[in-house]
Amino acid sequence: MKAAAQTVPFPQVPRLTGAAVLRRFGPLLGLVVLCGVFGGLSEPFRTGENAVNVLRQSAVNALLALGQMVVILTAGIDVSVGSILGLCCVLAALLLKAGVPAVLSILAALAAGAALGAVNGVLLTKLRLPHPFIPTLGMMNVARGLALVMAGGLPISDLPVRFRVWGAGTVAGLPVPVIVVGLCYVLGHVFLTRTTPGRDLYAIGGNARAALLCGVPVDSRLILAYGFSGLTAGIAAVVLAGRMNSGFPLAGSGAELDSIAAVILGGGSFFGGVGTAAGTLAGALIMAVLRNGLNLLNVSAYWQTVMIGVAIVVTVWIDMLRQKAANR
Amino acid sequence: MCRWTRRTWFAGVLLFAGACSGPRKSRQLEIAFVIKALDSEFWLRVKNGAEAAARTAPEVKLTVLAPEREINIDQQVTILEDQIVKRVAALAVAPAGVWEVIPVLDKAKAAGIPVLIADTDVPWASKRGFIGIDNRLGGKLAGAYVVNAIAGHGKVAVIGGIPGVATHEARIAGFLEEIGKVPGIECVAVQPANSERATGMAVMENVLTLHRDLRAVFATNDQMALGALEAIAAKRRTGQIVLVGFDAGRETLRAVQSGALSAVIAQHPERIGWETVRAAIQAAKRNPVAAWVDTGTAVVTRDNVARFLQ
Repeated sequence: MKAAAQTVPFPQVPRLTGAAVLRRFGPLLGLVVLCGVFGGLSEPFRTGENAVNVLRQSAVNALLALGQMVVILTAGIDVSVGSILGLCCVLAALLLKAGVPAVLSILAALAAGAALGAVNGVLLTKLRLPHPFIPTLGMMNVARGLALVMAGGLPISDLPVRFRVWGAGTVAGLPVPVIVVGLCYVLGHVFLTRTTPGRDLYAIGGNARAALLCGVPVDSRLILAYGFSGLTAGIAAVVLAGRMNSGFPLAGSGAELDSIAAVILGGGSFFGGVGTAAGTLAGALIMAVLRNGLNLLNVSAYWQTVMIGVAIVVTVWIDMLRQKAANR
Repeated sequence: MCRWTRRTWFAGVLLFAGACSGPRKSRQLEIAFVIKALDSEFWLRVKNGAEAAARTAPEVKLTVLAPEREINIDQQVTILEDQIVKRVAALAVAPAGVWEVIPVLDKAKAAGIPVLIADTDVPWASKRGFIGIDNRLGGKLAGAYVVNAIAGHGKVAVIGGIPGVATHEARIAGFLEEIGKVPGIECVAVQPANSERATGMAVMENVLTLHRDLRAVFATNDQMALGALEAIAAKRRTGQIVLVGFDAGRETLRAVQSGALSAVIAQHPERIGWETVRAAIQAAKRNPVAAWVDTGTAVVTRDNVARFLQ
């Protein structure tokens, strides 16, 4: 089985043609150029304080995008991550208010996130729902509704310091959320490139039927992928609730779309089988830099949204042109 | 080819960013006013008032920013962080989340930036001042109007904003306090509609289905009142149910004029914007600022609506 999985060609180790270099380093290149543009236009953008801010601001979306990327890798999609984030925020806050120690509250939030994500996977594979959009759309509503029910519609504020450090603390000048993001991405990268289940996800995304015939346990791998996405939503919830000092049930409304955008900007493909952790991180950073830079230039939030929309469409269009050129 | 398109894209980004940056240097006093959203007449009028105040002081450069929607609290926090990095001379905030903005306000304080709170007050000791109305009083005015309009007996309902948002909670509390004094009035529902029109309509439909003998409704903002109005009209009961809104935008005022809406508690959004920026300028110059500037409320009915419509 192991051998079978390894015969699947790996998208992240292609022949280094010009196009392949672009694919691999395109998101990073985009990020560098964007930083150069904003650095030239705005003095505060160049400060170290702002760099730390951008990293901190990107943390929640970067975490969601990591899970989202793993799902998109399997040619799936997870629109429930924003709602799972909201539910985990509320759960952690409620437990903390009930006097549960910070560590246990955090573990509960992570477990809840992973479990809800795994439910998405089970619904997809065992009920044979026709498209991943459907179970995750269901979960999006269920989790948001449950978050509102649990919180009684109200934000649960003023959380203990031991919990808040995960969103608001710093270690040696680096915000804790940034360290969390770094660790998650390193682990995610290792998982995707060095472990059999991780590599199987590329095979499933490339061609699910072929992967099945090669002996890849497709169903359990898919459940793993969606569970992983839920887990990163749980981690993001801890970071967000800590940062805002509040578990609010509407937290993460619309966050699923931002995470999908980060994956696409980072070179992921809806057709599956393509995407890397590093690219996705660059995608999340591009979004954060875009918003931060435009904020510093006093561009309204509406124009920022327009810019991000244009960036997504253009990125994918470039990718299509690249593929056409490669196939010729 | 692909290399060219990529270049075109980056050139586009450059051009756009360049166009946005424009001539904006060499002003001494930079003030940022971060509001909850820019998707309603209320906030646009706050912005207009703020900009008018900024024009009275040529040395001031004012920026009014907002997240896309009121529920995007984390986006508002991000905008605030970015303004702190810019070391603005003063920061004014209409907080989308009362508790959620406190950590970032602490950062502003640490950076030595004076902070003013507008519209929605925050329990944060270091604020230089609060500019806005007494929302509880506004709710009480609505309550008193309803008590009078239904002659002290019958069923009433409340449609509220996003749960936990202090302005709306205070309006509801004031309203309930006032109708609670009258034993003949029963409040059958207090339901949130997130300050949105469509949600307001849906909530009203449900309440009307459950309580056919409902006599009065208080919606804690205009959009929800207008939504409720649609629901009442769909049941062909326009004018039979006392409906009171809050904020007094032009559309609502016209509804009051036509008699479809019984009354609306008016705020003066331009005044909120104006007074906030005036206070921010004083704070930026390290001058004393009033702890609370009350921008005032008024009950608008058919009798006096013409004055507000001018």
